[in-house]
Amino acid sequence: MSDLVLPIVFPLLAAAAILLLRRGMVIWALVGVALSLAASLKLLGAVASGDSATLLLPGLPDLPLRLTAEPLTALLSVVVAAVATCVLIYSVGYMKRESGLPRFFAVMSLFVAAMQALVLAGDWVLVLAAWELIGLCSYLLIGFWFQRPEAANAASRAFLYTRSADLGLYIAIFTLMGAAGTSEIAATLNVDGDTAVAAGLLLLLAIMGKSAQIPLQDWLMRAMAGPTPVSALLHSATLVAAGAILLIRVAPLLTPEVLLAIGLVGGITTVAAGLIALAERDLKRLLAASTASQYGLMLIAVGAGVPLAALLHLLAHAAIKSGLFLAAGEFQHARGGTALERLRGVGRVRPWTFFGFALAALALVGAPPLSGFFSKDAVIAAALSAPSVAWLAPLALAGTLLTGAYLARALRLLWHEREEGENENRSVAGARWMGLGVWALVIPAVFLGLTFGPIEALLGLPGPGDHGTTAMLFGLLAAAAGLALGWLVPASRLLGPFHPWAQSGLVIAGGLSFWIGRPAMAIAYGCQRLERGLYATVLSVGRGGFFIARGCGRVERGLYAVVLGTGRASLAVAHLVRVGDERRIDGLIFALVASVRGWGDRARVLQSGWIHHSLAISAVVTAVTLIILLSASLSF
Amino acid sequence: MGRDLALLIPEIAVLLAAVSALIAEILRRPRASLALAMLGLFVATGLTIRLVGTDTTVFGGSFRIDALSIWAKLILLPATMLSLLLASAEVRGTVREGTVYSLLCLATVGALILAGAGDMMFLVLGLLLTSLATFALVAYPDDDPATEAAMKYFVFGSVAGAVMIFGLTYWFGAAGSTMIADLEGTEAIPLAVIFGLVAVIVGLGYKASLVPFHFWVPDAYEGGPLSVAAFLSVVPKVGALFALTQVFRDLPSESGGPAVIAGLAVLSMTYGYLAALVQDNVVRLLAYSSIAQSGYFLLGIVALGESSFALPSIIFFAAAYAAMNLGAFAVIAAVGRTLNDFNGLGRAQPLVGVAMVLFLLSLVGIPPLAGFVGKFLLFAAAIHAQFTWLAVVAILNSVLALAVYMRIIVPMYRQEEVPHDAASIWIDIVTLTALLATVTIGLAAQFFFVKSMA
Repeated sequence: MSDLVLPIVFPLLAAAAILLLRRGMVIWALVGVALSLAASLKLLGAVASGDSATLLLPGLPDLPLRLTAEPLTALLSVVVAAVATCVLIYSVGYMKRESGLPRFFAVMSLFVAAMQALVLAGDWVLVLAAWELIGLCSYLLIGFWFQRPEAANAASRAFLYTRSADLGLYIAIFTLMGAAGTSEIAATLNVDGDTAVAAGLLLLLAIMGKSAQIPLQDWLMRAMAGPTPVSALLHSATLVAAGAILLIRVAPLLTPEVLLAIGLVGGITTVAAGLIALAERDLKRLLAASTASQYGLMLIAVGAGVPLAALLHLLAHAAIKSGLFLAAGEFQHARGGTALERLRGVGRVRPWTFFGFALAALALVGAPPLSGFFSKDAVIAAALSAPSVAWLAPLALAGTLLTGAYLARALRLLWHEREEGENENRSVAGARWMGLGVWALVIPAVFLGLTFGPIEALLGLPGPGDHGTTAMLFGLLAAAAGLALGWLVPASRLLGPFHPWAQSGLVIAGGLSFWIGRPAMAIAYGCQRLERGLYATVLSVGRGGFFIARGCGRVERGLYAVVLGTGRASLAVAHLVRVGDERRIDGLIFALVASVRGWGDRARVLQSGWIHHSLAISAVVTAVTLIILLSASLSF
Repeated sequence: MGRDLALLIPEIAVLLAAVSALIAEILRRPRASLALAMLGLFVATGLTIRLVGTDTTVFGGSFRIDALSIWAKLILLPATMLSLLLASAEVRGTVREGTVYSLLCLATVGALILAGAGDMMFLVLGLLLTSLATFALVAYPDDDPATEAAMKYFVFGSVAGAVMIFGLTYWFGAAGSTMIADLEGTEAIPLAVIFGLVAVIVGLGYKASLVPFHFWVPDAYEGGPLSVAAFLSVVPKVGALFALTQVFRDLPSESGGPAVIAGLAVLSMTYGYLAALVQDNVVRLLAYSSIAQSGYFLLGIVALGESSFALPSIIFFAAAYAAMNLGAFAVIAAVGRTLNDFNGLGRAQPLVGVAMVLFLLSLVGIPPLAGFVGKFLLFAAAIHAQFTWLAVVAILNSVLALAVYMRIIVPMYRQEEVPHDAASIWIDIVTLTALLATVTIGLAAQFFFVKSMA
């Protein structure tokens, strides 16, 4: 079953071709992703007819890479390829006036390949590699307009946040591999006991980073500085979705404690991110906050023990959110920005796109019979059937209500009567490509609900239990209340004193950079200082050595003087003896005076500072002394 | 005897290369000197390939021809060739140019001796040979910073070397022989073994630039020629780390050595990256980063004997590290030494920019680059050997690493551009070779490792 590699290989080849040829990138990218979609569909067909297969590829020593085709992975692979195809079609129009297109399409293709590798992976090593590659690709894409400081910063921030959280994935994987003795995902899911709890919590950390759950949500809003198709892909089928997808895949591993933690994280996020969305002043950032909120709902479903509900909502959300983003991108081109103030009334200028946007928004709110209605019902029913219903159900319903509120607010602003003279409309180049992309996603967003039945049958996962009717009732009520509130009441009044805080993204005291970045830098400077201090210590030890050496030098000079003195004295004695023999006493005095002066001169010469000079002198003096002493002893 | 010498032919070839390079320099033929050195290293690499898979010892067990020493040759000889090319671009036309090539080869001989040491005396010999040659290399520019750096390096080196020799006398006393392998059998006075171990860690730790024996590193890298810094960061370091591996393979397990090494690993990684975080000079930044990377090697050494990943991970990471670090230094050689020199590089010279990004990302450990595979294996080895906490620290440090290397990457894509002269063709060749290795080693891990390592 070597077909398994095809969904990965086609976009990869497209990326390589674009990088090497640097032209025809649109065609390469579209062909690559379309072929990937075809291969995924073929795979799904094969799996639906009962085949499932694992392919072993050579990898690290003793750790072969595995690809797995089973209903879940094949289905996700199709979703990834389908969303990516629509987004790439749209990008052809959106990026029409940009430079650096080879880079854009090459990285997008690589992104799709990495995501396909992640969903089809049957092996932790491959998951890890794909996970990191996805992070890298999103860094490159968010920072596509790296000339703009905010884009470059946003990209770095996204990369650092998600990579910090990846720590959890690394340790979880090694823990699981250590416990199960293999890196095959299916085999490691049977682990239980403390190992399972630890691994589950660590995985949750990694997922919180990628899926932008509180308190790691900050990067997602800033990432809106990137091109809009990138946001669409990121939010619906790749980076952010990777977290939820991983969670759904490891669902059998999760113990009740971990499930509770997951449910709570999701519940808190869905409400908090919903509040942020309600206060946002920018359409794309509103949609980003909404993404975090919707993934919070998925986490609630997993936490309630019904990963199927999370999967259905993931599918519906993928189509809806990418459609919303693509429509927002067209509005952006029409008005030269995404601030809600600037977009006021743009819906009347581009009615078809607005219509698509509104349909997708209603689907997300959960209006029947659109796709979101079914998936949200499943989530709420799951929350109602969970052991921790007292926590999860109110949070899920609050999330639903907020979804209605912020989307109604956005719709109202977009459809608002335009006042004279404000906000010039621009013609949009490549609008046809963009419209095609938007509607290619809105249509599934509407009708996807029809496929949920077959999908449930295909996956064979347990459904959300028998709270269907109650859930539907509560869900509809919450959605309708939310829509009404959002349409009628201004956000600042709804949020009251929380409004400014929500507008700043519910950042707690400066956010992660304050709590982690600053201390890290402080420690780094501390290290620098420590190093200087240590260096000074070493230096002073060295100075101490020099001091001792100087002392030694002094002692040596003293000895030298003694030796010299001895020599001098003996010479003088010898001289005296000889003179005393040969001359009279007055001659002796003259000679003494002359010799003293002569030695003084010679002593000056001795201090010339040359080491060989002084060594020679020492040697000569020693020799002379020896000779004199010897001769003296002989003559007596 | 004949067999022993035949097995040592690669080392002998490098030695001959060093000598002939020196003779050519005496005859005032610096180009010939470079050519002879390159030729010798190339031949030595070729002669090593046929040895792959051998596992034996020569000279009565005192020198080992095993996976470590063979892969040391296959990694370090090409690395030295790349350093030679970098050096030729940097010192061309200076007086005594050929001595640089000769000394680089000599230092490599020292590193190879370290990597295969089965005897304490070989540890000493290898350490001295690499040290003496590199002292002179750091001082080569003959200006104040270089002289000061070389002086510091010399003082640290002599003290560390002396301490190691002193400690080895205890081992000799305990084991009754200078063979490292004999330590295992000693009913030794553990105190003597511990004393010797600490001394060996000091000596090899200085050469491998582990914290707290690293003080000479930033100054020596910054003061000496850049090509020498590139060389120092790879060849002697890998040699010393492999020597440490050789020592730890034979160490009695109750010596407490792994715990000490784990502590040093934490210190080196954390301290190295933290100090790198505040550097403005790219050479100093890479110097600290290379200190941190040494710490990662120790994860494998800690796991020796406990995990089957330990040895492959050390060797693999050495190959990856050599490629990516040399590549990063080659780019610095082409671009400049301060962070400001990197402003706008990605726009002015897109290919060099991409290469640098790939080197740095590989140093961080992003798949599918070589650094990822190396670090992955090291983490796996440490966790297998029940050193999970150490792996956690190492992974946390990878996040710090990202912040460190981003400090170079981010300015590369800023608006303003700093004009750069066109770099020498040789530097481009080094960059390209290192890039190729960084990208392919990771992808081809399985193919060339499984058979030969075992």
